[in-house]
Amino acid sequence: MIQLIGGEMPHWSDLSGGHGPAPLDAALAGPLVAGVPGRTLVAGPHDPALLPAGATVLVRGVADAEALDGPDRTVLCGSLEKLAAEPAFDTVIALDGLGRLCTPEAPDLGWEETLGLLLAVLKPGGRLLLGVPNEFGLDRLLALPPSPADTDWVTPDGPVTPVDLHPRLAGAGFPVVREYAAYPGALLGAEVLTDPGLRGFLGAALTAAAPSGPRLADPDRLVTGALRHGLAAQLAPGWILLAGDLPAGPAAVLPTGAVRRDGGVWFRADGTPIPAGRTLEDLVLTACGRRALPAVRELLTAWQDGPAAGVPAGQVVVDAAGACHGLAAPSVPVSALRSLAVRLIGGGYADLWPSPADEAELTALLAGMTGRELDPHAVPDGPRPGAGSLRELRVERDRLERELADARARHEFYERTIASRDAELKRVRQVNALLSATVPGKAANTVVDGLKAGRRAVRAVVRRTRD
Amino acid sequence: MHHANHYYGHSHVLARYCGLADADPPRLRGYLQHGWNIGDGLAPDHEFVPGVPSFLWSERTRRRAWSLGRRQLYVTGAPFAYLLAMQPVSADEKREGTIWYPFHGWEGQHVEGDHAALMAEIRATEPGPVTVCLYWQEYPKLRRRYERAGFRVICHGYRGGWWKDLDPGFLYRQLGELRRHARVASNRLCSAVFYGALAGCEPAVYGDPMHLRNETSAFGGQQRILREWAGLHGAHVDPSLARAIAVDELGADRLLSPPELRRLLGWPMPRSVNDAELTGVLTR
Repeated sequence: MIQLIGGEMPHWSDLSGGHGPAPLDAALAGPLVAGVPGRTLVAGPHDPALLPAGATVLVRGVADAEALDGPDRTVLCGSLEKLAAEPAFDTVIALDGLGRLCTPEAPDLGWEETLGLLLAVLKPGGRLLLGVPNEFGLDRLLALPPSPADTDWVTPDGPVTPVDLHPRLAGAGFPVVREYAAYPGALLGAEVLTDPGLRGFLGAALTAAAPSGPRLADPDRLVTGALRHGLAAQLAPGWILLAGDLPAGPAAVLPTGAVRRDGGVWFRADGTPIPAGRTLEDLVLTACGRRALPAVRELLTAWQDGPAAGVPAGQVVVDAAGACHGLAAPSVPVSALRSLAVRLIGGGYADLWPSPADEAELTALLAGMTGRELDPHAVPDGPRPGAGSLRELRVERDRLERELADARARHEFYERTIASRDAELKRVRQVNALLSATVPGKAANTVVDGLKAGRRAVRAVVRRTRD
Repeated sequence: MHHANHYYGHSHVLARYCGLADADPPRLRGYLQHGWNIGDGLAPDHEFVPGVPSFLWSERTRRRAWSLGRRQLYVTGAPFAYLLAMQPVSADEKREGTIWYPFHGWEGQHVEGDHAALMAEIRATEPGPVTVCLYWQEYPKLRRRYERAGFRVICHGYRGGWWKDLDPGFLYRQLGELRRHARVASNRLCSAVFYGALAGCEPAVYGDPMHLRNETSAFGGQQRILREWAGLHGAHVDPSLARAIAVDELGADRLLSPPELRRLLGWPMPRSVNDAELTGVLTR
């Protein structure tokens, strides 16, 4: 049943992907929402697969209301401030945050006012699941300058950070019991972020799920660096806060489910242990930064000699014993090597190897470093390095510029060499001609001519004999 | 790329290591360090073409060359270390006496010093028979003098240059001689002393270091060598320390695999490749 509460947007959808990002994936949000008790309001765009049975849903676009309408739920369509007439809820789920709750019909509200409206429909002693975007998240740091979108009739008045929200929510009677750094592909609590052994695994998870598209720089290095420097929570694209009377929730949630720790070891939802260590790519790039090619050689050889040879280096965790654990399905080893070559070029390390160090040449050399034979012509094509990323494009341009200058310098050298060899050849021929004119030279020529004539005669005889 | 790549049969040794015909090694895509030095690894008058890589013996030389503004540096290790790896020690190897390398000048250079005094010092220091190895330039001039003093005198052969007088057997002869001797010595720390230490000789550096006519010391010269490698100087030095330094200076602990070396040097794959070398990566 759809109920138009006022302020609704007739020609609008927040779920279509045309107006802002897709809502948090149900696979990530599911473990947080599972079992929330009482009358529940789901406010703002959410993955339809996430909605608990019997929940009341608030959306602002009529198209979304129609899409979500179903027999076991109430769909309210309109602007948040019109919700005051509703009876209070036991649980409010607003994982998309406060930014897509009001419509152009509503007055411009600040974040505190919007939050106040949301808290006003929550019963005392209830629970709130709130998403908070990070204005200083690494996705924004790497974003190209945006064009104004239809959603931008008013821009949010952030910044809003958990630091602002904790006292505000506690003051309203809903203390925060858990804070997640919300990345595409993972929700990470403080416990996992402070465990150094998980940096490789988390880096692999976050980089694998990073959205593609034009940006200032490839995000992988920033993600890895943020994890290493303990800044992954501060630089997350957003946060999710669990507040009020509810359990703290899992330490972290991945698309495959919640992770848990048992006896100092982390386990995935399916019970498989999570390898502790850094990713192979991180280790190789660090070794390159130190110009430690023997270390690179050792890492590559261990990788290519094991079952993870076909797994991209960013999806391989190297444990304390040096064993490689693949986190993704393996492809062919040459593709994995090529991906690493692309990462090395993008990272600005191409000049550690003799030029031209393009993807194919470097791939062949990396294979060579593991003692394997690989013809650069046999390296399959792949995506261009740094496609869509300005920093990587710049690195690539600089490399090509340098290689062109080097090629020109070599060309000049070859020209000079050819000239000197030509001169030498001329001189040798002159010497030859002079020697041929001397008596011993003539005698030698006579002998050679005689031998040639003899050979011709023998051949003629042989031919006649055959015929 | 450079005629010096073929000095002492270096490129020949690497070609053999790479599974290629070593009688006439292919052109080598880069500059190969041909002697131990305290500069950027290449000769002081070496002309660098931008973008042409230098293949150096040791990490220390690579770091130094980088600080001197050189780029495209790659540590391969010394060709002598590759030869050593390819030439197993024979079971009946007997070592006796000392092989002594008096400091020599290279083509166009002249050494000035007192050979009589040096001979006396060698005699006074070395307990066993001494073989004196002279460079080909000095061999005709000094051979008789050293022989008259009772030394066995040899010459490893021509270094070669400008693609003429190349001598693929040079390093083989040198290794053969080093393995016949218990000690290696010189009046200056040089490649031969490191080669000897790596080949199992007890090294020593003593005696008047002599000097080259118009010798320049661009990188600190003999005085710096004395300071930096003090542990290798003297009639008797710690053999294990000397060996460790030789391993470092010759890059003997980081020899590359033939596939990597072939790719670096721009050399083709050999016609027949040992199957053991092939793996899943090979998509030839």
